[in-house]
Amino acid sequence: MGPYKSGISAGSSSSSSSSCAGKQSEIDGLLSGAGYKVRSSDLRQVAHRLERLETVMVNAPAEISQLASEAVHYNPSDLASWVDSMLSELNQPVPMSSDLSDLPYIDGFVAPALHQTVLSEGWTEQNTHEQQQLTVVTAVEEDSAIRLVHLLMTCAESVQRGELGLAGSLIEEMRGLLTSVNTECGIGKVAGYFIDALSRRLFSPLAVCAGSSLESDILYHHFYEACPYLKFAHFTANQAILEAFDGHDCVHVVDFSLMHGLQWPALIQALALRPGGPPLLRLTGIGPPSPDGRDSLREIGLRLAELARSVNVRFAFRGVAASRLDDVKPWMLQVGPREAVAVNSIMQLHRLLGSDSSRVSPIDSVLGWIRSLNPKIVTVVEQEANHNQPEFLDRFTEALYYYSTMFDSLEACSLQLEKSVAEMYMQREICNVVCCEGSARVERHEPLAKWRARLNGAGFRPLHLGSNAFKQASILLTLFSAAGYCVEENEGCLTLGWHSRPLIAASAWQAVSDTSAPFGRIKDNLL
Amino acid sequence: MAGSNEVNLNESKRVVPLNTWILISNFKLAYNLLRRPDGTFNRHLAEFLDRKVLANRTPVDGVFSFDVIVDRLLCRIYRPPSVDEAHPGMVELERPLSTTEVVPVIIFFHGGSFAHSSANSAIYDTLCRRLVGNCKAVVVSVNYRRAPENRYPCAYDDGWAALQWVNSRPWLQSGTDSKVHVYLAGDSSGGNIAHHVAVRAVESGMEILGNILLNPMFGGQERTASETRLDGKYFVTIQDRDWYWRAFLPEGEDRNHRACNPFGPNSICLEGLNFPKSLVVVAGLDLVQDWQLAYVEGLKKAGQDVKLIYLEQATIGFYLLPNNDHFYSVMGEINDFVNSNC
Repeated sequence: MGPYKSGISAGSSSSSSSSCAGKQSEIDGLLSGAGYKVRSSDLRQVAHRLERLETVMVNAPAEISQLASEAVHYNPSDLASWVDSMLSELNQPVPMSSDLSDLPYIDGFVAPALHQTVLSEGWTEQNTHEQQQLTVVTAVEEDSAIRLVHLLMTCAESVQRGELGLAGSLIEEMRGLLTSVNTECGIGKVAGYFIDALSRRLFSPLAVCAGSSLESDILYHHFYEACPYLKFAHFTANQAILEAFDGHDCVHVVDFSLMHGLQWPALIQALALRPGGPPLLRLTGIGPPSPDGRDSLREIGLRLAELARSVNVRFAFRGVAASRLDDVKPWMLQVGPREAVAVNSIMQLHRLLGSDSSRVSPIDSVLGWIRSLNPKIVTVVEQEANHNQPEFLDRFTEALYYYSTMFDSLEACSLQLEKSVAEMYMQREICNVVCCEGSARVERHEPLAKWRARLNGAGFRPLHLGSNAFKQASILLTLFSAAGYCVEENEGCLTLGWHSRPLIAASAWQAVSDTSAPFGRIKDNLL
Repeated sequence: MAGSNEVNLNESKRVVPLNTWILISNFKLAYNLLRRPDGTFNRHLAEFLDRKVLANRTPVDGVFSFDVIVDRLLCRIYRPPSVDEAHPGMVELERPLSTTEVVPVIIFFHGGSFAHSSANSAIYDTLCRRLVGNCKAVVVSVNYRRAPENRYPCAYDDGWAALQWVNSRPWLQSGTDSKVHVYLAGDSSGGNIAHHVAVRAVESGMEILGNILLNPMFGGQERTASETRLDGKYFVTIQDRDWYWRAFLPEGEDRNHRACNPFGPNSICLEGLNFPKSLVVVAGLDLVQDWQLAYVEGLKKAGQDVKLIYLEQATIGFYLLPNNDHFYSVMGEINDFVNSNC
């Protein structure tokens, strides 16, 4: 039995939901409840390694501080790997440069010279930044607000059941109730949007939710300025791409949605400052065709080329106009044989989840051709929400809580114009989730757990985002956003959320070859 | 040195189940990385390593949870669902409690020696859920500000703010007397916070029905026999305890500060005050047990009602996993404590 005390067997190796204790490949249920995934069959080995680690740490206290300040940690939930990586750190004292002052990375909106000691002085656990009283949607005092939530749910339920008359009268009632709640913030504001969306679904379902692409551009830009979600997406993806490109002279980024190209100046600058000099950078930007004959993709490409030239980065741009990602064919991207490729998808993959049973599912086809490019890294950022469930009421409920939290976070923005227009950006999403069906419903957000399963199943393995990326994201948020935003680590991925609710998730992937390990770190990639 | 370390490791292995040993050893080693000799704390790495979980409005094993922000203070509420006849699929977060039965509301302060963990840490989320099921109570877990960035009295202030908020929620009232039946509870530093919040409550005339202290974190300037005897043997060292007190107490103060040593040379007299009855659980392999026992004595000398549960073979953290007898016996005691008629 070994030196360990035997626990009460009913508890020690089963979770409340698993049925059979003792299977070798099973995860220890109790440790899983504590956030750690350890196979029951590995427990002894992990314990043994923890002992070794402790002995090493006791005998080498100076190296503990190196381990703490310089080493990059990954995926703490995989306890066995974490302990192993600590052990290998201590056996191989190769200095790892993750001291912030060494990082070449400069985000577009950050002042330079983020010296580490300055940051640790300035970091406070709770920022005393001014902010309004904020409450999660249902912790509101007013009875009317609680009643409003009830009515919204009941209305959605009747829509699902096809009781349209009832739904209609509930909408009337809710509009009346709106006059007695504060619609400037909190539940009142977001409820208004949901009532409108339900009304539209009932009475004018064919009305288009999306506006012109010019409008979309404007909304996007204000959303970018008003809150940190897109910035987080960009700098987290850029950091991962930068690391993946380490050691490569010819690199090619494929951006699934160029928009204004806001993500790329920072990467270009970081590559310019790379020790050893910048690579040749090719950027292929995918975007919808411009309606008015302008080639907006090319215009953005020209601006980026100008920037690249100013920092001496050899740069080539190509625009690929496509209304849908699954219309893009890999040959259009003209990926060269010796290029290191990064595929970057910021909130695009979920749009491919609508299934049209006559064709190969769009997501499978796109993931398939991504894989065929053999990219060094695929960066994926998605809304952390479950808005693609088959039942309308489930989607509606999820969306109500998700967008309430998003709106709460927006309250903290002090830029009034940006805030108002950002709300419209979100209102469009709400409208799409609530009103649209079939191919028109593109906002099919799925949570990280589902994306993991999908990507793993499509032949990709995760590249873990580590404590260095986490720290940078946290610091940048503290410096540039209101208090309340929170970065969390989730099994190798990073999420950004409002207080305790993650709202956007960033992950990185690589195509599996037959001989590769089940997961990797970005720096482990060899040509 | 290496020899005595081997002995230490072997001893702790003998008294806890394997998965508990792994869990607590992992914390011990990770925490060693986070505490810097100069008294600063690697907060980013701490947050990166901490395993957190979401609140969940869908009842799981008879408990659902949701978060509220009380003036920038995050609290997580755990409660059993009550079925709303009109909307059977829906869970009402602020549904009023029973008007006939008393439903205890336990304000819980998580442990972590004032520096570690959060209300949404997985280990504490799990513990709070177990408390709900065990005691048929509502649990409010407080995400108090932590040291060293926020020293005394921040954690106590946050506890006080949470208490005032709980007391003023109509939907947390229960029983025929329509009041909020409040208990304060906590483990490690959380137990210390529970004590000090109770003192403040009593001084303000607010009623607390009981205090539940699990391995509460107390200390003092002198070295006690238990500290010397158990130093380094069961996951905890005197050195790390000292570090956490230096991180929490105001700069320049020693461990006889009343926050650390409530019945020491700087004590407040509790005699004659309507201090809540206390349930104090002490683990026999916890090196600060002499301070915890002194706390119990202090309450007794002040004429206060205190029940001590001394678990000879228990280590710190025994209540984190339900895989040992101590866990079940303590849960039973807590249930009796909050649901007794007196």
